Amino acid sequence: MSDASIKGPGYRVGFDAETATVHFEGTLRLGTAEYEPIAALLGGVLAARPPAITLRMTELVFLNSSGINTLYKFVIAIRKLGDVAVHVEASSTITWQGKSLPNLRKFLPSITLTMS
Amino acid sequence: MNERIGDFRELSRGGARVSLVFYSGGFPVRWSQCSATAEYFAEYFADVHARAGADESARNDFSGTLSYIVNELVENAVKFSRGDSVEVTVSIEGDELVALVTNQILAVTVDGLVEKFSGLVAGDPQDLLIARVEANAVNPDSAVSGLGFLTMMADYGATLGWFFAPVEDNPRNVLLKTMARLQMRNQ
Repeated sequence: MSDASIKGPGYRVGFDAETATVHFEGTLRLGTAEYEPIAALLGGVLAARPPAITLRMTELVFLNSSGINTLYKFVIAIRKLGDVAVHVEASSTITWQGKSLPNLRKFLPSITLTMS
Repeated sequence: MNERIGDFRELSRGGARVSLVFYSGGFPVRWSQCSATAEYFAEYFADVHARAGADESARNDFSGTLSYIVNELVENAVKFSRGDSVEVTVSIEGDELVALVTNQILAVTVDGLVEKFSGLVAGDPQDLLIARVEANAVNPDSAVSGLGFLTMMADYGATLGWFFAPVEDNPRNVLLKTMARLQMRNQ
């Protein structure tokens, strides 16, 4: 999949094809249905069957529970593919990341998570 | 009808507290306004820890936690509110931070909510969270994630409580109070 990006008020989710990295930036506090374009972008990333992807969260300051659900569902979709290596870059200074990102391993045990 | 579920206790008198009341009128409250409300409370109470000599990372953690909890409570209230107002209160009671949201809901939804909330406080929050996410993953059409309360409990260690009471002049509505309590020394 080529580069893709979704921008809204105060947030951006973008896929960089060269590095196979999804960048999450800003504050994502949307209603459940409003996450559909982001879920579609993530689905497009998987459709190209990359061997590895990175999820860069270090600039995502807030994510509400609907967004956490979108992220967990994405990781479960990756688990079903079975052969995509996932790395998550997180920040130890952003509270929600330390609280909720470790759960990713419960849905995809092979995931690697670095907290900088 | 006065029904209490989970860890719901009336706020003690004399604790430090701040309340905001929204009267939305015909103006729909947007998600960004829930976030702005959460940020207001997080900033207002940010220095509660500083007074106790906590470092910068503890202050960040406290603010981030309060912001998450209040945002989730207000999003829920706005989504399901059927009255003309939503009241949000944050209070410090000893070692506990208490967030309380009060709004009216449709009386016909009460039985379902009582069952749902009772289930939330009866099980292990971690197990319930995992099960809910796995269920959401096989049900792509689900309109609600159902993760708000579960993440508060499982990821933030909050205890939750609810109180239902009649609305005097409107039998079609019921007053719902939703409370989250956090031990501040754990934040």
